[in-house]
Amino acid sequence: MTDTTEPIADRANVLPFPADGLREPEVDPAARETELLLRLRDFRDEAAFAQLFACFAPKVQGYLQRTGLDPADAENVLQDIMIAVWNKAHQFDATRASARTWIFSMARNRLIDLKRAERREFVALERYVGETAGDAIYEEDLYARAAGQKSVALLSQLPEAQARVLVMAYVEGKSHREIARELNLPIGTVKSRARLAFQRIRGIFEAAN
Amino acid sequence: MNITHHPDTVWLVDYACGTLSRGFDLVMAAHLAACPQCARELGRAERLGAELMMDSIPVAVTTRPTALREAGSPVSAWTQSRPLNGLASANGNPVDLQTLVAQYLECGISALPWRSAGRGLSIAKLRATQHERVWLLRAAAGTVLPRHTHSGSELTLVLKGAFFNCDRIYAAGDVEDADETTDHQPVVTNEGECICLAVTEGPLRFRALLPRLAQGYLGI
Repeated sequence: MTDTTEPIADRANVLPFPADGLREPEVDPAARETELLLRLRDFRDEAAFAQLFACFAPKVQGYLQRTGLDPADAENVLQDIMIAVWNKAHQFDATRASARTWIFSMARNRLIDLKRAERREFVALERYVGETAGDAIYEEDLYARAAGQKSVALLSQLPEAQARVLVMAYVEGKSHREIARELNLPIGTVKSRARLAFQRIRGIFEAAN
Repeated sequence: MNITHHPDTVWLVDYACGTLSRGFDLVMAAHLAACPQCARELGRAERLGAELMMDSIPVAVTTRPTALREAGSPVSAWTQSRPLNGLASANGNPVDLQTLVAQYLECGISALPWRSAGRGLSIAKLRATQHERVWLLRAAAGTVLPRHTHSGSELTLVLKGAFFNCDRIYAAGDVEDADETTDHQPVVTNEGECICLAVTEGPLRFRALLPRLAQGYLGI
């Protein structure tokens, strides 16, 4: 017997399932978050809330600061969002959105309220700040998770001009009219960039489902 | 409801990001309540927002979850940012857009301060700020509206009846998405009166002199 077929057959005997099956099963973080939110919704599970907080609070805080809020204002907004998560969990419908999409829409609504009320006097900053600031678990949990970088990959699949429009909308909070003005582009160009970007994103989301 | 004309994707992105002014937000919310296709697209726009949010560089916070829970529910005092939001759950079901908008206006559509704009056309101005104007437009069957261009974006949602514009028919639930590149002259179909909710960013530019003269009086 020389070489080719035999060793492969041998290996197949040793490993009766594909090598991939040996890896640690990866838990999709979005699915885990949704599971936690369902536990909060159905059982008012405080541990689930604490875990949701650990998953979301630092990311939401980072997001709010990226949208231009200073850290203290951002943390006040974050507190309101997380209280809303606790109070409105019964409205969550997992068939319509994942936990992160639902929480994103909470954050968005809160930002709309603030913008409309045009009142930036944030009440008592220290309102909900715990006495024991800096429990290590939160920070650890969160930096471990930062590895994911899924959406950077998501935007990197788009031509730069299209990704730029989306970043300006989602991160800088600009309307398409403001984007056109700032980039000095005809409104139709911004519209077609968004349309093309969404064709691609639709495909990416469908492939991920 | 058979909706064939939808607002451009950018409007759904703006809606998902919360960057629309009240008038545009209202028209989008009313359309979304009636249009499952746009509601799905909005779902994708929100999902993208969620992915970008979760991709942010995490920043440690000093707030403790237990403290939040004990704080009770100060958020119940939130102003309702989107009065039509609750109605979006009607997605996929036929929605009476007139009722929906009347709910927002807290009065029947007939009770509005209609002003005649001549030739079978009445207009009720709902809101005018420096940046946007919102009005309802009520036109008898066959009415030819004054030809105009725009100085900014305009969304027109048909609540009742239908109109023609540039070889297209816009019927209940449809949105006509126009901007400064659009030059149009809507004509109401012969079937009956047409009621539309419109929001524009800047003043309309009429081609003819008479509507231009009436413009100040009507506040469009």
